[in-house]
Amino acid sequence: MFERRDCDILILGTGGAGLFAALHASRAAPHLRIIVAVKGLTGKCGCTRMVQGGYNVALGPGDSVERHFMDTIHGGKWLPHQQMAWNLCETAVIRVRELENELGCFFDRNPDGSLHHKAFAGQTYDRTVHKGDLTGIEIINRLMEQVRALPLEIMEEHRALALIPSKQRDTAAGVLLVDMQTGVFRFVGAKAVLMATGGGPTMYRYHTPSGDKSTDGLDMALRFGLPLRDMEMVQFHPTGLLASQQTRMTGTVLEEGLRGAGGYLLNGDGHRFMFDYDQDGERATRDIVSRAMYAQMRDGRTSPNGGIYISMGHLGAELVTKEFKGMVKRCADCGFDLAAGRVEVVPTAHYLMGGIVCEPDTSTEIPGVFAAGEDAGGAHGANRLGGNGVANSTVYGGVAGDTMAAFVQKMDASPTADRDLIEHEIERAQHPFTQPAGNIHVLRERLMDIMWDNIGVMRNARDLDKGIKQIAELKDELLHTGLPDKDLVFNMTWHEWLNTRSLIDVSAAIAAAACARENSRGAHFREDFTDPGDLNSSYFTVTRRVHDTIEVGKEPVQFTIVKPGESLIGNSAGEVPPMARHIT
Amino acid sequence: MARRLGLHQEVLQVNVWRGNASGGKHCHYEVPSLESQTILDVVTWIQRNLDPKLSYRFACRVGMCGTCAMMVNGKPRWTCRTHVRKVLDNNTLTIEPLRNLPVIKDLACDMSEFFDKWDRAQGRFHPSKTRSDDVVRIPPTSVHRTQVDAAIECINCAICYAACDVVQWNPDYLGPAALNRAWTLVNDVRDNNQTVRLRAVSSDAGCHNCHSHQSCTTYCPNEINPTASIAGLKRATAKATLSGKI
Repeated sequence: MFERRDCDILILGTGGAGLFAALHASRAAPHLRIIVAVKGLTGKCGCTRMVQGGYNVALGPGDSVERHFMDTIHGGKWLPHQQMAWNLCETAVIRVRELENELGCFFDRNPDGSLHHKAFAGQTYDRTVHKGDLTGIEIINRLMEQVRALPLEIMEEHRALALIPSKQRDTAAGVLLVDMQTGVFRFVGAKAVLMATGGGPTMYRYHTPSGDKSTDGLDMALRFGLPLRDMEMVQFHPTGLLASQQTRMTGTVLEEGLRGAGGYLLNGDGHRFMFDYDQDGERATRDIVSRAMYAQMRDGRTSPNGGIYISMGHLGAELVTKEFKGMVKRCADCGFDLAAGRVEVVPTAHYLMGGIVCEPDTSTEIPGVFAAGEDAGGAHGANRLGGNGVANSTVYGGVAGDTMAAFVQKMDASPTADRDLIEHEIERAQHPFTQPAGNIHVLRERLMDIMWDNIGVMRNARDLDKGIKQIAELKDELLHTGLPDKDLVFNMTWHEWLNTRSLIDVSAAIAAAACARENSRGAHFREDFTDPGDLNSSYFTVTRRVHDTIEVGKEPVQFTIVKPGESLIGNSAGEVPPMARHIT
Repeated sequence: MARRLGLHQEVLQVNVWRGNASGGKHCHYEVPSLESQTILDVVTWIQRNLDPKLSYRFACRVGMCGTCAMMVNGKPRWTCRTHVRKVLDNNTLTIEPLRNLPVIKDLACDMSEFFDKWDRAQGRFHPSKTRSDDVVRIPPTSVHRTQVDAAIECINCAICYAACDVVQWNPDYLGPAALNRAWTLVNDVRDNNQTVRLRAVSSDAGCHNCHSHQSCTTYCPNEINPTASIAGLKRATAKATLSGKI
């Protein structure tokens, strides 16, 4: 049993990508029927809102798109899809002016009134536009205001369950969703579907993204037969807040600027260990700091909750409170004294560089399916620069809106959906109600431990194999673990079950890709293959689900714009000056 | 005194409102007192261990999305950022859905009216430039920009809306969040819709309803002062009326 409605364009997600797609599609062709569906409340559950740092854009005098591009390629360790990285940098210039001039974002200014650009790690130029340290809130609030006024329909608290193909199985015909408030299943027929649900590596013990994130988009894409690239590339942020495992605050980000400003990282014995690993100490890059912290933790030199301390007090409590007001207040609300005391921190899973293989126009290999934001792979390669995440979601969200508006206007009729498959998916979603009741939360916790211990900050063949086996066992256990009694109305525990299934399936893809890459690039570090491998023969992994197994292939990176050893801006390109490395 | 469970486990006495649009009641739960425990953690513990069908909302976990706002011992709060110790009253917590909004189920409210009012207050930017133009030069110390900065970091969590007595008396009142946003736009020299906005905020449902009780300001977790913003609107609309602009 399900309700049905039809539209031209269906957008999944209301982060930067989803909202920008809605805006552009509606403005390009106001007569189109557009539906935006979101798992939470509009603009409230995407990770764009949580952006603290800012938005990378080559708008400053003396900066250039070429320089931004070279920084992105170097940051991504030569794995980015070069045209996607180029378009990201080039379009960001237009997008920031669109945000500021047309949507009303009010970014911070220099004393002369021009846009302020701050320094951000890994970049050769100060190019990060921001609104204080709450840039994401400014962007999403202004986008929400504009999108809510458009002639389109927003379906809030609707969880997407599956992409549904046409009867001929050659295009997408729509998406099956469930209204989380009422439990009613709705099939939305569409000529074009945008996957903009956000990634979010919440399958790790410690993670930063919002609680609703469960890689549903990537899981739907895998099950639909779409390939994912770079899935082994999971970015860890070094300073996630660590309290007990019982509190949801654990894993949330304490900003990078704390290290940049001179904060110390101390192990459980009080030893300042970072200089044992890198001459830049705490100011080394995210991946180096995360690995050093992880090594200390694995050796058992930990704080009471199993992490590391960050200590700011030597800078003076007053100064810390002034410079990091928001962070100090957040810690104080949770009972910790960041300004004068020690706060426990831990590396925390932050971002999936990997995602759906797509073209620079956001189209995928299946007609009618498009991808943008963290659901899409390619722009970041092996590592994402801070400030390129929100640029990516807003640039490619807008591109997707334009592309889809043109795409659907060329189509005559809507594809006919495979009705049997809809019925099958409705049954699949209700699977837990056919099984004996168990504790789903325990399984989710176990997944987070498996991923953290075996497919985490540092990897090796033995642990990866163990992890892959444990993920498979967990999947089997999940499918035999049910929920007490059938009630589909606003049932968060049911959705937690569905979240866990999505996360397990995508975890299997991450593990398989991590196993296949036998070198260390960017965010992916193999203890048994520490060499980055030959740059000229760089490849990216492509993960597909074939029947019920994950297959990983390798495809050569196409150096369509610049080859390793070359630069678009002279010999200095991409060399990160010491100054920029530690200011965030 | 706190009751003890096991050797030294203290137990919190928690009353949670359960129900839907047609009514409901408080249900009682006993929840172990844990270290670093927020109100959101208490609600989560109940859902995970005692009552899997308890409905509530949360997303970001750090006070950026405003999704988890609820009434805690009678006061509106972000539950993710409220430490149990700070609000515990005689070892008891009473957790209810936000005031002044229709309930959907248990602790989750229907936010549509709140956001519709945001739009009715003309809380949306109307451009005077396009993406082809340069970004407008506005010194950060200019009077208008300073006014914007003081009020702009609102995350639309509806805490102020739930705290507002005027909203309770007059359900049509646009409320502090929407008017606060309108005030930031009144001070936005780039905006092209000022007359329409001033008319909207001076309507029967607008800024002149505010009694300056300052509940919004008292409870705003971001330390914004909507009362001051609304006072600014009162002055601006009075001035526009006198000069015949609206």
